[in-house]
This record gives sequence, structure tokens and C-alpha cells, in this order.
Amino acid sequence: MNMVTIEIDGRSLQVEPGTTVLKAAEAIGIVIPRFCFHPAFEPEGSCRMCLVEIEGLPKLDLACATVVREGMKVRTATPRVVEARKDVLEFLLADHPLDCPICDKAGECFLQDYYDKHGRYASRFFESKEKKKKKIAIGKGLLLDRERCVLCTRCVRFLRRVTGTGELGVFERGVKAEIGIDEGRDIRNNYSGNLVDICPVGAITDRDFRFKTRVWFLEKGRTVCPRCGRGCSIVVQSVRGYPLVGNERRIYRIVAAENPAVNGHWICDFGRCGQHDIEDDRLTAIAVNDGGRSAGLQEGRPADWNAVLKALAGEIRTLGEAGRGTRLAVILNSFLTDEELGMCRKLFVDILGVKDIFLVDPKPGEADGLLLTADRAPNVRGAAVLGLGPKPPDAARLGESADMLLIFGSHLLDHLSPEQAAAALGGVRRKWLFTAHRSALDRLVDVVLPTAVPAEKKGSFTNVDGITQSFACAVRPRKGCLPEAEILARLAAELGVKLE
Amino acid sequence: MADRETTLLAAGDNSFRLDAYLRRGGYEAARKTLLSLKPREVMDEVKKANLRGRGGAGFPAGSKWAFVPQTDDRPKYLCVNADEGEPGTFKDRAVMTRDPHLLIEGIILTCYAVGIHTAFIYIRGEYEAIARRLEEALGEAGAKGFIGPDVFGSGFGLEVLVHRGAGAYICGEETALLESLEGKRGLPRLKPPFPASVGLFVGPTVINNVETIANIPLIFRHGADWFTGRGLPRDGGTRLFGVSGAVRKPGLYELPVGTPLRKIIFEHAGGPAGGQAIKAVIPGGLSAPFLTANEIDVPMDYESLAHIHSMLGSAGIIVIGERTPMADILRITARFYAHESCGQCTPCRIGTTWISKIADRLASGGGAEGDLETIRDLAEGMKGRTLCPMGDAAAMPILSIVEKFGSELAAAIARKKDTETE
Repeated sequence: MNMVTIEIDGRSLQVEPGTTVLKAAEAIGIVIPRFCFHPAFEPEGSCRMCLVEIEGLPKLDLACATVVREGMKVRTATPRVVEARKDVLEFLLADHPLDCPICDKAGECFLQDYYDKHGRYASRFFESKEKKKKKIAIGKGLLLDRERCVLCTRCVRFLRRVTGTGELGVFERGVKAEIGIDEGRDIRNNYSGNLVDICPVGAITDRDFRFKTRVWFLEKGRTVCPRCGRGCSIVVQSVRGYPLVGNERRIYRIVAAENPAVNGHWICDFGRCGQHDIEDDRLTAIAVNDGGRSAGLQEGRPADWNAVLKALAGEIRTLGEAGRGTRLAVILNSFLTDEELGMCRKLFVDILGVKDIFLVDPKPGEADGLLLTADRAPNVRGAAVLGLGPKPPDAARLGESADMLLIFGSHLLDHLSPEQAAAALGGVRRKWLFTAHRSALDRLVDVVLPTAVPAEKKGSFTNVDGITQSFACAVRPRKGCLPEAEILARLAAELGVKLE
Repeated sequence: MADRETTLLAAGDNSFRLDAYLRRGGYEAARKTLLSLKPREVMDEVKKANLRGRGGAGFPAGSKWAFVPQTDDRPKYLCVNADEGEPGTFKDRAVMTRDPHLLIEGIILTCYAVGIHTAFIYIRGEYEAIARRLEEALGEAGAKGFIGPDVFGSGFGLEVLVHRGAGAYICGEETALLESLEGKRGLPRLKPPFPASVGLFVGPTVINNVETIANIPLIFRHGADWFTGRGLPRDGGTRLFGVSGAVRKPGLYELPVGTPLRKIIFEHAGGPAGGQAIKAVIPGGLSAPFLTANEIDVPMDYESLAHIHSMLGSAGIIVIGERTPMADILRITARFYAHESCGQCTPCRIGTTWISKIADRLASGGGAEGDLETIRDLAEGMKGRTLCPMGDAAAMPILSIVEKFGSELAAAIARKKDTETE
């Protein structure tokens, strides 16, 4: 392809034909301020923030919409350009409520950031501000603040072009123009959370996050969403320590991360809710339960990982020595990473010769045709590649074939009622459960070991399209929990075998 | 105009009827042209006539048509802009009321030249009666086979539809007009692409003002040379000058392009009313920068007005007498643009309103030091920086008022301060 040579702020560069000035500038690290432009959409050209100087043209031109031409000379920081930016900011801030101290967007607000960089003038707006509604419920826990809105219409375009649901529109005209919703047509689609992500200001906020923390406290960790087979890139945002008391860790939200090959710029609301999987109903200590014979979980009983894993290794060894073949069965799941599943296969199949390897996932749901897949686990494809297809145990015969059962995850309950599960597990002598969340299964086993959730692990998942994506630890594991990979490695060490 | 046959303004009670138009020689030019000339030749004749658009921007009509690609299969469209929203402008309504068939004949010729088979007349919502008259005229023309599947037996097919707008100034902007015609909110589109390549329903589209199209039959009746001879060589024909405001005989005057403004006001419109002197003149619709009384010797053509930093625009002349306070003029001008801004882009949405708020305060005696400077800065912040020409349309007249009548406005502000101190 013939590249186009252009010059931006005196720096010469080559870009593909059809590239816009804004994208060309970004390629050499010059970020041109914008409100309405979003890389997922065609240029809108309405905020007028990205105007730049192009040699030979009398007027300033849009960086977002102007396509490069051979020999084009662009200047992005001349006094004229800076003046134009300042003017747009002055216009936008004239009617703006300036309620940054109570605005969730403060700290990551385009308007605030640009004012800090390009504005910084004393206000000369002495007229009355336009009064608009500030707390309009538009569905799915989202609130619209029309006074903060800069009418970039990113939200409107998202709902028209991405979900095709078109719930929001612009009503009225001139300074009365406002984002609105047809009566009775609240936002109901599964992608509503993206509206908060793409709003450049604090006009659309989410009740889930509203007033909970300030964004400058957030630690951000990128990972892969574990809630379906798509494997969207997400950023888990959490606070550890100050301003929380003590060393508490709290997850505040999950937002989309850009990933052109998988999810583009978006994630679904179902995935976004995964914040609660990291936070809620977590097991935090090893619980020894005596097979349900004791009155309840004895979480208070100190049981350290070393002792418990030594005990488990001992039980596995004894089982082997009893000479009745391996009466060990294992239930895996597709929330385990490729690496963890590989370790399981090596340890249980190759080394211990376990025949009964089952795999139990949540029941498939409905795919929504956009990102959400029918699978409700992140690594179904990865498990299949390792020869671990979905294989539920025969509940009625579990006790006949196994003396000991290692259960990873509590998804049995997605297929069996607690009573059925109790009956199925009743015949097995020893049951160990490795799981992150509390469930009715906890009371039916002998030992419960708290594991990390995917956001607390590193590893990789293979998504529905066969794309394998590695990820690092997005948040520190909750105190007391271990990732399965570490549990397996330590168990192998106790058994005196190597998984490498 | 002595020569009644050549005028854009037919006279007589039933001038709008088909038989009256035929008696004036109507449709002969179109019939002859369609049966004897090639589309290319039609376009060349219009280029030769140097017909400049009558809507405001003054773009040469022939060149505009030539931008339409003749190579692809997409349907092409003609949109006749009959939105006529520019304050001080009332010419298109006269053409359509008195001589709808002249417009229709112009549409036939235009469509034939560009290879268009569907034309829309986008008429402002307030012109309901005129829209009905157009539809009647289209019925008459259709019954005679002047429009329809086989125009004049030439094999050329043409459908013409009347579409009423809903009363927004911005829909006179050509791309907002297209959006409105497509059934959407009337918001200007980002250009490029220009309508000639991607216009109505993504088809290549020609958009011309009513008066522009109404001139086409005259060019073919009398020839391009005759046409340029009636105006200026580079800006041919006559213009419909609408004169309103403080004159004795407000009205519509058809005069050669290049007629001096003073002559139009004093000889044709009877001079200022009530024995007062002229303070200011808007030469081409409200969006044209204001002229002072010293500037009215200017010839009324695009280039002469551009030379003194104003514009011929829609040729709607508004005369402002010495007794009218400029603060009031500033107020209603600013209010108009604030009311009509579509709200899509930042500078126009907020700039027009902000200026209007200051102008309101100023006109009601609440002016403060620095107001004029702020107005000027805000207008400069809109000028050349908006998505569509409306930012300029709003900024330019306001800047000219502040620039040319600044001392009167400053005096008004100072007077207010004096009363406060006393």
C-alpha cells in the first residue's frame, strides 16, 4: 500500500491512506482533545474541540474528520488552535453546573482535564445558566444529568449503532437541546454500562458506582472477563487501603478495555456485574466440615494451607496404597485457566491415573448475538482443547466408583438441587471442595478450600473463537484464598511429583 | 421591468394558472430543449449564463450541477430549496405564488441537464397555501404530460414532489434540508461528503434555490448572452430584491444584478419613511453584515458586496432608520439565531444564546462595561468554527453591529451607568 507522508507539528510521518489527522497524530503520541469523537464511531464533528491548523486552509479544520493528503502539514498547538480550544471550553463551561466536587466523573472527566490543560481563565459568564434536570432515571440504574451533558451524542450513537436499540435521542434544539428518552422506553439492553464508560463527562452515571469512591483512589488491573466464552478485555478497578479502613480491599467497578480482536470497546452488563463475583459471598478461610456431620462449618478453626495440603496429599497416597485402583474422582470446571487445566490433567490423569475426570460448568444461557455467548464460563474452548469436554458425573453412581472426590467449583448446584447433590455425594467417603464462593455444597463436603477468582489470577483463557488470551493478576487475591494453580503446585510438591 | 414576458414575477390574478403561463410562452423552452439539446449542452448553456445561486452563497449553478457524478447507478435527486427562512427575504414565495409553472419548467430543465428523475420541492411549513398551489400546478403540468414518465414525448421521465418542512430556519441549510426530507431531525451534516456526491438517500443530489431554478427557463427562452446582458457578465440576470424596514414603499423589486443599493432604496422603494435618515442597511438577509448609511452606494452583486465585507446573500434588504436604537437591533438579531440554532455543535449552540442573553440585558438598560468585548469574542469563537455556515451567519451580522455601531452601544451602556451614579 502506498503510504501517505504528512507532517504534524514539524514531525514527518507516514500513515496509511484514509487515516484521519486525529489518528495520525495519536500514532506519534499527540493526543488531540475531543468530546464527540470516539474511535468506535464515524466522526461526528459537532463538539468542535479537535480543530487544528492545516497549512493552506483558511479555517481551522477538524482533526477527527479530515483525512490525510500527501504533503499535508498539520499544526496542533499554534495560538489559533489553542484559542479555539479555549473558546469551546468557555462555551461548554458557561452553562455547566461546575459540581465537580460531587461528580463521579471528576478525575477522569474530559471537560475537567481539558480545562486544566487549555482553559484556566476567569469566567465572564454573568448571565443566568440554563436550568435542566439533573437526576433522570433512564433505566438499568443509570442516571442522566442534563446540566453536565455536553451533547457529544456518544450515548445516542452507541444505542443506535452498537445495540441498535435507540433508546436515547436528542430532543429540542439550540441551547434547549437535551438527551432524552421516549416515555416508557427505558434503556433495557445488556450493554447499558458502556454509556457510562463513553460519556466524556459526568452526564451518565451508574447507581452502582455513584458516590461510592473517587476515581483517583482506584487501582486498575486489566484482565479477561470470566462470565462467558467471549473473553472480553476488562479493567477491574479497586481500592486497597486508604480511604478504606485498615487494609480492606474493595472492588468498585469493572469497565471495558479496548481489544479490537475480541470486544472492540464494549462489554456487556452481565460481564460488568462480575464485580460482584469478586466481592460477594467469598470464602476466606479453610473450613473443615466433617462431611456435614458436624453442626456447621467451623471456619474459626485455624487450619493453615500447608497442614491441609499435607493432609490431602496423605489421603490421596493412602487411597492409592489401599490397592483398589484409583478410587479418586475429580470434578473440574471451565473457569480454570488453560495452565490450571493442564496441571490438573498432568497430576490427576497422567500421574495419579484418575479415570473419572468430570467437568461441570454453569448451565448455558442465551447468546445475545453481540458479545455474550451461550457458555457461561470463560474457558470451555480451552478445556475442550485439552480433551476435557463438559462431562457431568452420573449423580446416582458417583458413590459406587469413588471413595474420594475433589470438586473444583460449586457448579454441581446449577444442575442438581441441594437435596440431589446431598444424595449424590452421600455415597462418597471423602470430599474436598475447592471453590471461591459460599454455596450449599459447602455443608456437603469434608473440607472447603477457598480459591481465587479469575481476576485474582494470572493465566490464560481460550475464548469461543479459539483466541487464547493471557492475563495478569488484576487484583490481589482476597486474604486467605489461593489460586488453583498454586494449590495444585503445592499439592504436587507434597505428593513428591513434578508438574513442569 | 417593461418586458413582462421575461420577468420572474408574473402579473395578473390568474398568472399562476397553466393556461396563463402557456400564453406567456411557458414550457416552450423546456419542450424545445428536451427535444433538441443533449443534457451536456443544457449544462453548458447554464454555465455560459453565469447564473449564480440565489439562495445566499452565490455558487455558480452550472458548476454545481457538474459536480454530480454521471458514472454510477445511484438515483440522483434535485431538491428545490423553498425553505426561505432568512429574515428579510420574501422572494421565493412571490415566484411560487404567481408563477409556479416557471419553477416547474426550471425543474424540468435542471433535471434533464443532470439526469435526474425525481425532484423534491422542500417548502417551509408556513407556506401551506403555496404548497397547495404548487401541487395544483404540478397536477396541471402532469395532465399535459409536461412532467411524468415521458416529458414532452422525449422519453425523459420526471416525478416532482412537494414536501413541507416544519418551520426551522436551519432546514434552509442544504444538508439539514436533506436530513429533514429524509424524515430525521433537521441537523446539518458534516461535509465532506458534499450533497453532489452523497446527498438525499445517499444519492448524488443537486440543491438549488427557487429563484435560481426559476431563472433557468429564461436562459433557454432568450439565450445565455441575453441573460448575462441583463445583469453582469460574471453574475448574470436579475435579482428579486426584497426591501423592508424603514422605507416608504417596501416590496419586491426585480432589478439587474449590480443595481446600486442606494438606487434600490431611494428610487424604487421610495426612500426612508417618516422623513428620517438611514442609520443602517442589511443588504442580503439578516446573515449579511450590516452596512452604514455611508456604504449604500455599493452595487448589489456578490463581488461588490464581498469587497466591503458584506454579502448579497438572499438580496433581502432591510433598512433601519435613525430612530431605531441599535441595541434593539442587536437584541432581535441575536435572539433570532439563538432561537434557530439547531444545537448540534458547541460554538453555535452556546455562543448564540450567550450573546442573546447579553444583548437582552444591554437593550433593557443593564449593559455593563466589557459587554461589547465579550460579544465580539463570543462571535469570533463561532465564526469559521462551526459545523455548518450558521455559525458565520450568526457571527457576522453581530460582529458588524458591534464594530460599526459600537459607539452607539457603548453610549447606551454609559448612559445606564450615569443614571446609576445619580
